Amino acid sequence: MTITRRAALTGLLGGAALGFTACTSSGYPADPDGTLDRVTGGVLRAGVVHHPPHVDASGAEPVGPEPDLIRGFAAAHDARVEWTVAGEEALMTALEKGDMDLVAGGLTSASPWTSHASITRDYAEAEGPDGEPVKLVMAVPLGENQMLTALEAYFDQRAAEEAR
Amino acid sequence: MTRRDTRETGPSGRRFGATELPPEIERVVQQAKRLEWATLGVIVVTIVLVAIVMGSSQAMRAAWIEDLLSLIPPIAFLVALRVARMAPTRARPYGSHRSVGVGHLVAAVALSVMGVVLVGDSLLGLVTAEHPPIGTFDLFGHTVWQGWFMMAVMALSVPGPMILGHKKLKLAEQLHDRVLYADADMNKADWQTGVATIVGVAGIGLGWWWADSAAAIFVGVSIVLDGWKNLKEAVTNLADRRAATIDGARPHPLIDRVERVAWAEPWVRQAGARVRDEGHVFHVEMFVVPHEGADVTVGRCCALRDAIAALDWKLQDVVVAPVDELPAEVHGGRSGEHQTGEE
Repeated sequence: MTITRRAALTGLLGGAALGFTACTSSGYPADPDGTLDRVTGGVLRAGVVHHPPHVDASGAEPVGPEPDLIRGFAAAHDARVEWTVAGEEALMTALEKGDMDLVAGGLTSASPWTSHASITRDYAEAEGPDGEPVKLVMAVPLGENQMLTALEAYFDQRAAEEAR
Repeated sequence: MTRRDTRETGPSGRRFGATELPPEIERVVQQAKRLEWATLGVIVVTIVLVAIVMGSSQAMRAAWIEDLLSLIPPIAFLVALRVARMAPTRARPYGSHRSVGVGHLVAAVALSVMGVVLVGDSLLGLVTAEHPPIGTFDLFGHTVWQGWFMMAVMALSVPGPMILGHKKLKLAEQLHDRVLYADADMNKADWQTGVATIVGVAGIGLGWWWADSAAAIFVGVSIVLDGWKNLKEAVTNLADRRAATIDGARPHPLIDRVERVAWAEPWVRQAGARVRDEGHVFHVEMFVVPHEGADVTVGRCCALRDAIAALDWKLQDVVVAPVDELPAEVHGGRSGEHQTGEE
């Protein structure tokens, strides 16, 4: 019993190692549903909530610091942005269904959507509705860890550029 | 006719209740104590480390809760040992050896809960197709995937319980301490969960969202089985079943040996013993049927009792009862030469 268990564990480990070498083309960590692969050189489906000062969606195209960040991220991955403006719940549902690649609009690290979406690390601080400081985040599809990693890496890169 | 040791001799630290411990067994006790304190130290360090890298990962959260649960058996051992040392009193004439049984039950419940939580949680994750998110850390200006940290911490947490559990198994057998035995199973569960988490997180990195849950179910099932085995053992031992080896697989060999000692007495026609596991030590009721016309003197009974007690340190609480017929449920029933080990 113990021996079979140990053999099976070794097999799992070995399989993982093999898979690792086989899958390096799609990156590590990889996306279970291939979000970043699809976005790269294609279309980034971004959903935003009208939430000044972070997002102003009253014009033809959303503007503000968060849409700028999203455009920058898309440009870094040769992608064109396709905007959707809607309420937070509608956008999160679309994100969960796989109809959206990224959601923004003044989301904070206290967001209650953690079981529906992957919430990024905070990229900036701002003043919240009650005057307390809040940490600004964005959301990507749940478990799409390559997308999450890429977006967080872009945040870090922007922060480093601004610090210079 | 119960052996009653004078309680004044020796410090209470060298005894289990009324039972005086041979020096080599006392050394094992001290070794076991040191191992359990070391275990507590290792677990506390792991709990702090995992809490730091945990993030929002459900997998790590589960591992963390398991670490909290694995604090229970070492604590149960240390408390049970302390209580078992207490000398018998008029109010507690059998001593407090049963603390081992109670500690074993507590440890078995902790182990079972850990297994059930692990399997339940992971099954739920698979059924609801929960895709675990693992993001990044900013490490001195470098964006590093958090999965690497998780795997590193888990890799660090594997050798400790692996070594400790292995050492405890040996001591548990010498001491006949089932709390220690259950704790060795808990250590096994700990390091196997650690390996499963490494495999799971590595799998998540490959885009296999199900890897973590699948690996957790794999080890979770074996933990549940270990928990169930210990639970059964603890309950049946508390319910006065025949003394058994530490793994519960066979009747304890001492039962056969005490009966042989009785059969060897020339005045004994039939002999059979009821031996129950009090925790560390055994309680022996030796029923003897004397030969017709043989004198059953206090001296003969005392000599038999002393001969039995001299077999092993675990045999101190020995009662010799002369009867005209053996109770049906005791092993034996024929004369010594013809009695076969039916077990």
